[in-house]
Amino acid sequence: MAAYVIRRLLWLPVTLLIVTFLTFTIARFGPGDPVSIAAGQFRDPEVLAQVRAERGLDGTLVEQYVRWLGGAVRGDFGDSFLQQGFTVNELIFPKMLVSAQLGFMALVAVFSLGIPLGLIAARLNGTWIDPFIISILLFLQAIPVLVVIPPILWLFALQFDLLPVGGWGGLVDIWWIGGVIAIPIPDPHLYIPLFSMSLGGFAGVARLVRITALEVQSEDYIRTARAKGLPESTVQLRHVLPNSLLPVVTVVGFALVGILEGAFFTETLLGIPGIGRFTFEAVVSRDYDVIMAITSILAAVFVLMNLAVELTYGWIDPRIRLGEARS
Amino acid sequence: MGGQNRVLAILLGVLAVLVLAVGGLSAVLLASGSGGDDNGSSGGGVTTGGGSSAGVDTSPASGRLRLASGDPITLDPHIAGDALSAEYIVEIFSGLMTIDPDLNIVPDLAASFEVSDDGTQYTFVLRDDAFFHTGRRVTAEDVKYSIERASSREVASPVALAYLGDIVGVRDHFFGLADDVPGVEVIDERTVRFSLDAPKPYFLAKMTYPTSFVVDQQQIEANPRNWTRKPNGTGPYELQEWRLGERIVLRANERYYGGVPKVAEVLYELAGGSALTRFENDELDVAPITVNDIERARDPSSDLAPLYTVSPQFTISYIAFNTNVPPFDDVDVRKAFGLAIDRAKVAEVTFNNMLLPATGILPPALPGFTPKDKTYGFDPDAARAALAASKYGSAADLPPVVITEVGGGAEGRIDTQAFLEQWREVLGVNVEIRQTDFATFLADQDAGRLQMFNAGWIMDYPDPEDILDLKFHSESALNDVSYSNPQVDQLLDQARVDRDPEARIQQYQQAEKLIVEDAAWLPLYFSQSHVVVNPAVHGWFEPPMVIPRLRFVEVVR
Repeated sequence: MAAYVIRRLLWLPVTLLIVTFLTFTIARFGPGDPVSIAAGQFRDPEVLAQVRAERGLDGTLVEQYVRWLGGAVRGDFGDSFLQQGFTVNELIFPKMLVSAQLGFMALVAVFSLGIPLGLIAARLNGTWIDPFIISILLFLQAIPVLVVIPPILWLFALQFDLLPVGGWGGLVDIWWIGGVIAIPIPDPHLYIPLFSMSLGGFAGVARLVRITALEVQSEDYIRTARAKGLPESTVQLRHVLPNSLLPVVTVVGFALVGILEGAFFTETLLGIPGIGRFTFEAVVSRDYDVIMAITSILAAVFVLMNLAVELTYGWIDPRIRLGEARS
Repeated sequence: MGGQNRVLAILLGVLAVLVLAVGGLSAVLLASGSGGDDNGSSGGGVTTGGGSSAGVDTSPASGRLRLASGDPITLDPHIAGDALSAEYIVEIFSGLMTIDPDLNIVPDLAASFEVSDDGTQYTFVLRDDAFFHTGRRVTAEDVKYSIERASSREVASPVALAYLGDIVGVRDHFFGLADDVPGVEVIDERTVRFSLDAPKPYFLAKMTYPTSFVVDQQQIEANPRNWTRKPNGTGPYELQEWRLGERIVLRANERYYGGVPKVAEVLYELAGGSALTRFENDELDVAPITVNDIERARDPSSDLAPLYTVSPQFTISYIAFNTNVPPFDDVDVRKAFGLAIDRAKVAEVTFNNMLLPATGILPPALPGFTPKDKTYGFDPDAARAALAASKYGSAADLPPVVITEVGGGAEGRIDTQAFLEQWREVLGVNVEIRQTDFATFLADQDAGRLQMFNAGWIMDYPDPEDILDLKFHSESALNDVSYSNPQVDQLLDQARVDRDPEARIQQYQQAEKLIVEDAAWLPLYFSQSHVVVNPAVHGWFEPPMVIPRLRFVEVVR
């Protein structure tokens, strides 16, 4: 097992090298460059050539890449062009933290709602409730985030004045009672983005769990458990649920990577300083160093998460042994 | 079914788990989270964290002005080339000259100045009450340092040559051929002399732009990477706080030589969202009016109407023809395209009259502007005649015509689509729209690859040279239509060094007339600024270009 893990980890630097070099090349060869955008209206070619030279945008592709790599391996991802005077690290890590916080909360909501709902639908297969739930889930999954947010905003923020129109306030807010007792409550800025992000997600998880649970329910050991007189709740929670989780683990793994990508529409519409919106802005204004940093981080996390998911399989399902020959 | 109770139990259990999870997670992260109030007024400086805006005090208060804006690209006056950054920079920093609310070019850090007889030497005497925010007096050495830093090779400012290039030695310094700028001389502690390469009368206008603003040498040398986070400027306001993507807070400079500004604190909300909604919620004091709300703003019975103002801007949008590329190498074809479209109608219908149809190249309120319409008006018969008179003769013989604009590719700009219809109807030409993203557009434009395109120009200082010379002189690097007219060149060369202001204006007006006739540009519209202003704010104005204005405002609640 250990050998397996080490073998997989050795591939990580190779993968990263390939991904970053490809991204670097594509970005540089594509039309446009950050200096032209920063120059505004005064784009004198002679001046721009000089500026590019001073800012390290000259030299062959390989030279520039090696320069970048030298900094990247030390954790120095360079300086942002779009936001002058700030290093890339200073800009992306706080934003990733915000996106991660929001994304993590969304994941919690999605799985807390989706898994039980899927189990219930599977259990009630054969009654009218099952297709009813499925229809609702399909409906919810089909609504794009872009469409969900404006009516929710209008209703709760403008009409009822219950929630803020946008912005970010961290995860926790304090609710003072009588100026003396402090109760931590979820920050009101969370509710609308959480709602819009979870809507499609939990529908998808629920359907996935339902399908798997349906299969599991027809297994022999479930029949045995019931025949032995176990209460239904025990059958569901101790036998059906764990065996339905395998595909969910995969989904969780990649969803966790996804939260580091941020949610572009949600962040833009609600003014949340996350990484999704920032990535888009960086691409549009050709902020090369930001693009490279985000790509590298996401690639590394993706590879590691892949490995973690596989290891989790082995842990959850004793029938799966990694790295060993099948018997 | 007995299992239905189980179902309910499971559901309730899930709900409980959810509540606990959220609450528990919140509690756990309370220790490390970023919640809580940080409406601090201590120290200042910039934070990049996604911190809490829950504690921001946006309540209306006397002496506080609340605006909506965006993050500046930079607060370094020597690098800034965009209007958004300039908006903050002109309040935090200042230079030898500035533009007052009536658009006069007046001394700022300079108490007085003298121009030599031949017009190439400007000698400025600094005010004796000009201080940096930290209290250090501004000296001529600071001015020399600032000019040299702005034009230095290391700083590599994309705009340095544009605004300082007339000063002797700046070019060499920028390209690393010289260590200093001999054209800036320190005469004594408060006197500094500039030498220009020719008697250019627009030099003072260029000096109002941030590139020549004074910066603190000690601060920059002590902290070259991060000094802009708490810049020590000379302007009417100090940067108190900058939370990236959230807000900027400016505090009045108590030592300001022009008098302490009446508005003690200016809060800029950067997060985005509907400004008008927040204005109506009394969270903002000034909000822009977009085409969606213009009807409400103009309706005399609405509550927005008395708060609404319109102001001209030094911005022109136009369609450009690359005079090197067929069929636009023929002036008659360009004329035909210009005569075939009805800009006034389009401005009325698609933009609800929020933009003014352009009457020439020079925008309103600029010296030299004349309201007389010099452009080709809507005349379908004349358009067809012009096309017939061209070397192509008819629409069928024209090569494919493609207009390029910046966009997302979903659909063309609404007015462009209207023009397309008119070109098809009147001339029988099928123009294709091509949209690219902004960076690609710039690359294509600079490489001269665009046959016909949609663009705009924002004036940076109130002098016709800033648009006519820069965009239409055959030798100008910024001439992106390959326009070349020796008569126009001659007029522009003359006006560049003519010290008689009236003669200059006339030369520029003649040049403008020729340029419009040659139709390398189809001037489309002049922009206007539409805003609503809280009645508690006195003295608010929307200048046609970025100039310092916060210190002329007062808030009385």
